[in-house]
Amino acid sequence: MANGIIQLVPLAIVAGVFALFILSGLRNRSKQASEYGFSGSYTGRIGIGAGIASNWMSAASFLGLAGVFYLKGYFAMAYVVGWTGGYVLLLVLMATQIRRFGKYTAPDFVGFRYESDTARTLAALISIIITIIYCVAQFRGIALLVSWLFGIAYIPAVVVGTSLLVSFVVLSGVLGAARNQKLQYFVMIITFILPLMLLTRKLGYFWILPQFGYGAAITELHQQFGFNWSEPFACTSLFEWFALCFTLMFGTAGLPHVLSRFYVVPGIRDARWGVVWGLFFIALIYWSAPAYGVLARLFEARGGLTLNTGSADAADMIVLSAASLGGLPIWAVGLLAAGGMSAAFTITAGLLMTGSASFSYDIYPRLIRPGASEADKVYAAKGFFLILAVAVMVLSLRPWGMIAEIAAFAFAVAGNTIFPAFLLGIWWPRANAFGAICGMLTGLVISFAPLLVGDSLPFIAHFFPLTSSAFIGAPLVMFVMIAVSLLTAPPSDAIRLFVSRNVHDCPENP
Amino acid sequence: MDETSSNKDLSFFKPQGATMRGEVRVIKLILSGWLIAIVGFQLFAYLLEVSYSELLLEDLVFFNLPIQFWLSGQLLPLWFIILCVLFNVWMDRHSVQSLEGSLRFRIKPLKNGEE
Repeated sequence: MANGIIQLVPLAIVAGVFALFILSGLRNRSKQASEYGFSGSYTGRIGIGAGIASNWMSAASFLGLAGVFYLKGYFAMAYVVGWTGGYVLLLVLMATQIRRFGKYTAPDFVGFRYESDTARTLAALISIIITIIYCVAQFRGIALLVSWLFGIAYIPAVVVGTSLLVSFVVLSGVLGAARNQKLQYFVMIITFILPLMLLTRKLGYFWILPQFGYGAAITELHQQFGFNWSEPFACTSLFEWFALCFTLMFGTAGLPHVLSRFYVVPGIRDARWGVVWGLFFIALIYWSAPAYGVLARLFEARGGLTLNTGSADAADMIVLSAASLGGLPIWAVGLLAAGGMSAAFTITAGLLMTGSASFSYDIYPRLIRPGASEADKVYAAKGFFLILAVAVMVLSLRPWGMIAEIAAFAFAVAGNTIFPAFLLGIWWPRANAFGAICGMLTGLVISFAPLLVGDSLPFIAHFFPLTSSAFIGAPLVMFVMIAVSLLTAPPSDAIRLFVSRNVHDCPENP
Repeated sequence: MDETSSNKDLSFFKPQGATMRGEVRVIKLILSGWLIAIVGFQLFAYLLEVSYSELLLEDLVFFNLPIQFWLSGQLLPLWFIILCVLFNVWMDRHSVQSLEGSLRFRIKPLKNGEE
């Protein structure tokens, strides 16, 4: 990527898209007060769904997924199934019930449900850990795109990308630009699917629905180049596939910024139907992403290039490479870069702000400065935002995997900690603070064990892989929570009755 | 055990009250459909691969895609959307019925049939 060539046309498209976001945000500023703009305005359930999808889309979805398909073939389907199937869990087990608690963040929920400041602080710390890991994946995507756009090496690109991100957040904040999530989703889906349609049309495939059309490339790869996609479990085991898939599902239902979405919609019914539309909009991307990985393989094979078997950088940029190798005009490649940048920027900005809010409201006034005023908390949030951005930048200099793999690690942490605490908190009134604290700590140990002792204890790395530990980890954490809760005093009658009457609508005299 | 304490002892596997029982019943059905589809499709692909190597998986093409790609990559996300729609339709009807039930108790009948 460090070829010294600045991609002027793509750069202009990226700048134009971000200018559009800021102008649209300024236009919506006056509307915000009259609606309820936590993150922009909403019009109906489709708008809520677009907001959910925009909030979900990240560099992992836009760039990373196609990269995993390119390198690992069918194994990447675990990402598609995991990242969409998790919304079923979220809808049926949590969405309606969370709203009935009336708490706005994951630490708020944990603190209220378990009546414990310690549990609340621990949940806030875990939220920040998840934010950092998730942002490292996004920073990697941003850095790879910046590296391509400016023709510079990866490490300077991380620094430039961080500066651009912080500038974007500060500029939006100073101008008071609200996030227009519908516009952001619209831009992302157009920039992702239009180049794919152009590619499949150029190849003479069924281009109107390229999500099906790319199947011809799989056949061509097999028949003409001997590249076989037809043995789904040849390189990975069934256990590895299920472990990753269920970890991503548990993580989806446990990611703090995903859970918070359900508080900012007008009603429970709107929240539920918003999930359906959101899932549909998300699926549009996931139905399409495998095509980029497959088409890139085909173009490489046709061009006589040797098959890449391990370069994570090349795989993470395969969406852009497929468009270039396929001979699309530079503006089409620029569209993909703009979509990837907007996906990574918007989610990272949101996550860093959520993480700094967790620090300033849940940790700073409780552990660092008791009795801090509101103004102190605002300063703490601004300071912690910068600290978080720098910390993520440093970690991104030497990332430990591909974009999708780093994101999957964040999902594993969420699936091992927040998910069990929410699930039992909602569905088992007997769960208490001791259980929740022990459970979340166990979840943290399980999540980081493969990183810390995986080399010396191979069975840990086998049963609790870094990206897939929640498959066994989440049930184990729930077992710990249940055992500790039963061995210690039950929670107060007030909270148990709140859960039964207010959350589950149980009558006083059944 | 009095009624209040029995209310406090509810859980997903021990639902209390008609509303929660109905909700848990439909959640169990939805989650069964969710789990069977995820596990079933992968086992199907795995068994085909183990039994026939790639021969059969090569020939089974659906909507232009190898069968395992179509089942996992296209049908499963669609199936999840369908499950979510079914759940929401049930919840909407259920909440309307609950509302009607509660209104019957809350609205006092007017005298002489006045509206």
